[in-house]
Amino acid sequence: MPSAVFDVLVSNMIHFFKNRLARGTELIGQMSLGRLEFELMQILWSRGASNVREVIQELDRPLAYTTVMTTLDRLYKKNLLDRHMPDRAFVYSPRLSREEWERRRAQSFVAGFLAGAPASRDLLLSSFLDAVGQHDAVLLDELEKKIQKKRKELFRRGPS
Amino acid sequence: MSAPYVLRLLCLCLASFFLVSSIAGLIAASASRAAVRMAETMQPRSAARFLFFVRLLPLALGVGAVLGLCIPSYLWLEPHGTPERVGLICLTLAFLAVASCCLSLIRTGRAMAGSLRCKRSWQLAGRETQLKGGASLALVVKKEAPLLALAGVLRPRMVISDAVLRSLSAEELDVALHHENAHRVSRDNLKRLLLLLAPGPIPFVRGFAFLEQAWAKFSEWAADDEATQGDAHRALSLAGALLRVARMGAGPRLSFLHTSLVAGDHDLSARIDRLLRLDHARPVPFPRT
Repeated sequence: MPSAVFDVLVSNMIHFFKNRLARGTELIGQMSLGRLEFELMQILWSRGASNVREVIQELDRPLAYTTVMTTLDRLYKKNLLDRHMPDRAFVYSPRLSREEWERRRAQSFVAGFLAGAPASRDLLLSSFLDAVGQHDAVLLDELEKKIQKKRKELFRRGPS
Repeated sequence: MSAPYVLRLLCLCLASFFLVSSIAGLIAASASRAAVRMAETMQPRSAARFLFFVRLLPLALGVGAVLGLCIPSYLWLEPHGTPERVGLICLTLAFLAVASCCLSLIRTGRAMAGSLRCKRSWQLAGRETQLKGGASLALVVKKEAPLLALAGVLRPRMVISDAVLRSLSAEELDVALHHENAHRVSRDNLKRLLLLLAPGPIPFVRGFAFLEQAWAKFSEWAADDEATQGDAHRALSLAGALLRVARMGAGPRLSFLHTSLVAGDHDLSARIDRLLRLDHARPVPFPRT
């Protein structure tokens, strides 16, 4: 039993340091990408500027609007995407070409790790910054619809 | 007690603190995903408490090792007149401890300065009002920004902008104020300060971000649960309030020492979905993300 616990601890430590190394690039905005993030980046690299619905249409599996929206938002926060709102929904476009992203990622791998992470407060603050920032109008509309639907449902049922 | 004797004790204390808190910190940081997974099976308030405990455990162990082991054994066993020099390893560890603590203090100082700046500007532009649903006086600020927050650590105060006050219905405002009041009761801003003060596992390495973000999310969900009290109508009002505040657009820059109603862009849809699923007398845990 103690050796099993030790194994778990050691593997967790290795995982932590591997993440730590991988996250070096994040520190200056070019973090290694997760599977979905990479898929979305590939779509945007091939299609160019697109909104959430257009990206969803290009995916080879059905994903919720909110999932894709959240992932694009995360990529925007990582400085990998630009976004603007010409109409009611954000249009995302890659900030870097794929070649440029790969080159910068390789360059910043060691530098990022040695530089260490930015202050925790700054990163945690960013969630508050974006908290009441601009939201995707389509997402807000979808949420509004859900609220209306629930309101009707509760109204039919009568007061609790 | 001579100066070299005290300086040696100081070096030893710092080195021991760094050694114990760093090892415990590395273990806690590497196990943070497992801790968050475990927290996801709990009710939000218990989950937030559990994650807060895990985050502060390394600091507590470090302080405990110094106060309970290092100082008593040194005073008891170390002879006073020994002309002993502090080793290089001990000095290095002591230096790292100082660096680690200084970084935490700088981070906390910046957050506190930012909070004070905001608070002062709000006090200048606001008036104190007793709002229905608020446990104490709230500061109503003449701003069009979507501001609804709890500011301050020891005596946190509700701050709300005119725009939010105008746009929320009476029921939405009531449940939103109860949400912020839940943060006040659970002293979330004080906990934020402690999180900022607690050093990371190694200087310049940010190992607890995941844990801290998970804690922040669970605190929000706990405040949601406490504000809605398992009532589907109140949950619907809170979801409506969140959406209205989100629709109001760009808001003021908030410090980490403030608790805001809409605490995270990515969280918004997840929180609203969760509130709409609330159809039971008892709060439901949040699904894994």
